Amino acid sequence: MAQTTEFQPLDYTRYDFKDPETYKVRTPRGLSREIVEKISDLKDEPEWMREYRLRAYEHFLHRPVPDWGPDLSEIDFDAYTYYANPLAEGETKRSWDDLPPDIKNTFDKLGIPKAEREYFGGVGAQYDSGTVYHKIREDLTAKGVLFTDTDTAVKEHSDIVRKYFGKIVPYNDNKFSALNSAVWSGGSFVYIPPGVDAGIPLQAYFRINAKSVGQFERTLIIADKGARVHYIEGCLPLGEEVLVGDELTPIEQIEAGRTVLTSDGIETTVEKTMVRPFDGDLIGITPVSIGNDFQLTPEHPVLCVRREQVAKYDRGTGRLSDVDPKKLQSVSPEFVPAGELRPGDYIHYPINRTFHDDPSLGAAALRLLGYYLAEGCAQVINGCKAITLTFHIEETEYVEEVGAAVHELTGKAIWKVPQPEKHAISIGVYSKELYDLCVRHCGQKAEGKHLSKTIMDLPPEKQQTLLRAYYNGDGNVYERYGTVHRVMTISRQLAFQVQELQARQGVFATINVRKPFDETMPDGRRISHRRMYTVYHQVGKRAEAVQRVGDAFVVPIRKIRRTPYHGNVYNFHVAGDNNTYLVKGFSVHNCTAPVYSTDSLHAAVVEVVAEPRAKVRYTTVQNWSKNVYNLVTKRAVAYEEALVEWVDGNLGSKITMKYPSVYLKGRGARADILSVAFAAGGQIIDSGAKVVHSAPDTSSKIISKSIAIRGGRTSYRGLLHVGKGATGVKAAVRCDALLPDEHGRSDTYPYNEIHEEDATITHEAVVGKIGEEQIFYLMSRGLSESDAIHLILMGFLAEFSKELPMDYALELNRLIQLEMTGAVG
Amino acid sequence: MAASPPAHTLKVRELHVEVAGKEILKGVNLELRSGELTAMMGPNGSGKSTLAYALMGHPKYKVTSGEVRLDGKDLLAMSVDQRARAGLFLGFQYPQEVSGLSLSKFLWTAYMQRHTAENADSEQFGQDLTKHLGYLGMDEAFLKRSLNEGFSGGEKKRAEVLQMATLSPTFAILDEPDSGLDIDAVKAVGETVAKLDHPGVGILVITHYQRILKYIQPHRVFVMVDGTVALSGGRELAEELEAKGYDWVKVGVISSS
Repeated sequence: MAQTTEFQPLDYTRYDFKDPETYKVRTPRGLSREIVEKISDLKDEPEWMREYRLRAYEHFLHRPVPDWGPDLSEIDFDAYTYYANPLAEGETKRSWDDLPPDIKNTFDKLGIPKAEREYFGGVGAQYDSGTVYHKIREDLTAKGVLFTDTDTAVKEHSDIVRKYFGKIVPYNDNKFSALNSAVWSGGSFVYIPPGVDAGIPLQAYFRINAKSVGQFERTLIIADKGARVHYIEGCLPLGEEVLVGDELTPIEQIEAGRTVLTSDGIETTVEKTMVRPFDGDLIGITPVSIGNDFQLTPEHPVLCVRREQVAKYDRGTGRLSDVDPKKLQSVSPEFVPAGELRPGDYIHYPINRTFHDDPSLGAAALRLLGYYLAEGCAQVINGCKAITLTFHIEETEYVEEVGAAVHELTGKAIWKVPQPEKHAISIGVYSKELYDLCVRHCGQKAEGKHLSKTIMDLPPEKQQTLLRAYYNGDGNVYERYGTVHRVMTISRQLAFQVQELQARQGVFATINVRKPFDETMPDGRRISHRRMYTVYHQVGKRAEAVQRVGDAFVVPIRKIRRTPYHGNVYNFHVAGDNNTYLVKGFSVHNCTAPVYSTDSLHAAVVEVVAEPRAKVRYTTVQNWSKNVYNLVTKRAVAYEEALVEWVDGNLGSKITMKYPSVYLKGRGARADILSVAFAAGGQIIDSGAKVVHSAPDTSSKIISKSIAIRGGRTSYRGLLHVGKGATGVKAAVRCDALLPDEHGRSDTYPYNEIHEEDATITHEAVVGKIGEEQIFYLMSRGLSESDAIHLILMGFLAEFSKELPMDYALELNRLIQLEMTGAVG
Repeated sequence: MAASPPAHTLKVRELHVEVAGKEILKGVNLELRSGELTAMMGPNGSGKSTLAYALMGHPKYKVTSGEVRLDGKDLLAMSVDQRARAGLFLGFQYPQEVSGLSLSKFLWTAYMQRHTAENADSEQFGQDLTKHLGYLGMDEAFLKRSLNEGFSGGEKKRAEVLQMATLSPTFAILDEPDSGLDIDAVKAVGETVAKLDHPGVGILVITHYQRILKYIQPHRVFVMVDGTVALSGGRELAEELEAKGYDWVKVGVISSS
């Protein structure tokens, strides 16, 4: 359906929950030797660390970007801010209440203070570059456990830090480890003394708040002989809404991978989003349909037919007069910068031509949904789901129609409660099925009513059935220069959807907006009227103003205004040659003005040391926003009989490159790596594992599970190395990929370097699909299609989710459900 | 004694179904009633399983004409999951495997769909489940295993019957619950089906052989030949078929026409 996007500069503050004033320290954009020195100065750190940073920076400058994985050529290192701290350096808090309220609020929304009380032995929280909170339980401190941010550790535990820092992951390991080593800030330092079991997990949360800010935390975990620890890191962008495919979305919330409509009325995908500062007049365009008013920058191209191309020239007055309909039909519209448009020019409203029938929605269901949209309410009465509708007492015909539809769908009879004092009749039925149907396809409550993507995609003749019922229920007809049909709603989204449905019926319906106002009644009561949208069209008399040309309407501009504006403006690229999209239903071209990227960069380094017989588990659940480059180096060393486990879940980010590795350096050491990748839309998750067996009798197990859907791409990249002298090695690798639709892609790149003949190596790789038969089987037990797919996906990931703490497992479940809503809605 | 009318009916009228462009069902008429156990027999390829899949709504089985009414409601207008929630159950001959989805979680999810989230009673669910596992001679450990994954033929059939018992449908179609089973397994499945003959449920057992019918005592027997119901009768019909083979029916059809 049409992704009608809007341009509302005045509303930006609503979404702008990042406030630059909250940063006490922020370096200028870009990276230089001076900035590296500035970061070192701010941290007031020992000279050895300063020298280390500068050496790493020199290496970073010369080291090329890796060319063997996903394309990183779009990363513009000059576009990022490398240090931004909401607190002053060293101001890390020990109490949540000491944090600035907006930051505390962010972490409250994440549920972290609560989780700390209930599940964890220590918690760290990092906000861009700054560690804002760090605390460990006193009983762990008493056992000698150290858990601080790494900056503090450099100063307070320099003997341990200096012994290990950069020894597991040297700065010259790769371009991004060099970058991290130069500008690192924050991260956790953990030391567990010999024989101590930390018991409950230690946990750190990371959040990138500002756009174009890089986060470069540095984590160092040392488990001394026989010690045990479980460390969990969460990268969760809560408070950012997940977008689904059937709503009117503010443009600054459009992410790469979204579906939008082009000027041809065909769906395409957003490839890249851009933002730039703008200072000047914005052009406001009001077409004859006032509700479709929109604003853009003067250079933004808009598809249009100039009035002089189609108007008759009046020789008598020398002016342009009436428009010649024949000319209007024959002139092709062209892109004209918004600043050059004039009232009377025609702009272009394409008709969405994407259809996808859903046979399960028959006439009875659509009639019921139409009436529900107008008059209905979905509610739980006495613990039972029900739908109720209210009609005027004389609308018996409609009541009968609803009754017949309900009976056909469920076999049940509706109840009827006349309310003569209100001239109304209330009807309803208890039915979970109908409740779910109505809520799924039409939403709940008057202001939340909207249509599902399934409905918006139905063939027009089916949509007509729904429209007829909706207009019966909510509409009215009156005579004024012809017959006017109209509906009124307080749901803005519904108004635009009805306009689009009418366009598919061949009718251009106009949207008018009544502003909210307060009214004082004669009895003194004050009534607040909410903003009301009226969608109307005329029948019988040709509405001359708007004409259909091919698969679009051309709509005259009524008014143009200019408004001074200072702030960010947004734009995006879409896939395909036709780089156009719709603003409030009207075709505009991708703007050609200079832009900078809104991507963020996360380049962490994690070093883990497991001394003899120690056990370390490191769990990650990463759900970065879809504009984050997540390029992380994680490496562990395990000595005699030690065990290192990486449990690594990757759901978010734009591109992830991460290959947790273990160097098995002592006899009998073990590595266990379980990684999960879920890539949807334009995401690329290139993950895997690396195990180097350099001691005898070492063993490793790698399990990689990946799901690629809706154009997402996952890769398993693994290295298994068995060195000379490492005899008796056992290694097992299993890669399972699941491709639920035709649009995902999954690749496997396993490399084995085996230098001892007695090594036992097994490798399995399976690519699966979700079969039609599997879905049919689950649906035959009463599960909806999306529930069936969700169960299959969660089953696929069960090996991973059962290793997660409960709240993470639930979060994983919820995230996958949200992603699937977008897929099959 | 006058029989009271059945509480529920599933009426199939002149049902024509094609698969991949080929007509398999050529006008099937039959009626299932609640409280009755009906057997559908017939030679391989006669359309028995096609009827089962078409009634459940498999997308590859295209209904070209005819109608199916479940208590008067148009079954064919419903999606697969709506049919299930309306009370139809299909026991599969070859059930699908779902890795990582435990049988217990699946049963509970399905139970909630059938009973609606408000009415689903976890205590009742657990008690019934223990009882049904006992009937089927299944261990509780079974519930922790991934759905059908690595199940033997007999375990799969029992799991299907267990699902039927859990969902307590209005009408259940069991597609060859006895195929590929040894005689003990056939006995266990047959006896459970018989025990589950709780008031209200109408069961259609599709089978090629007569042996399971020893344990389930059908009220009626239909014989499908070449896409239509060629014969119907009482239990004695099944025995006659076992003795004489299906060729006899084909001859019988011709001679009676």
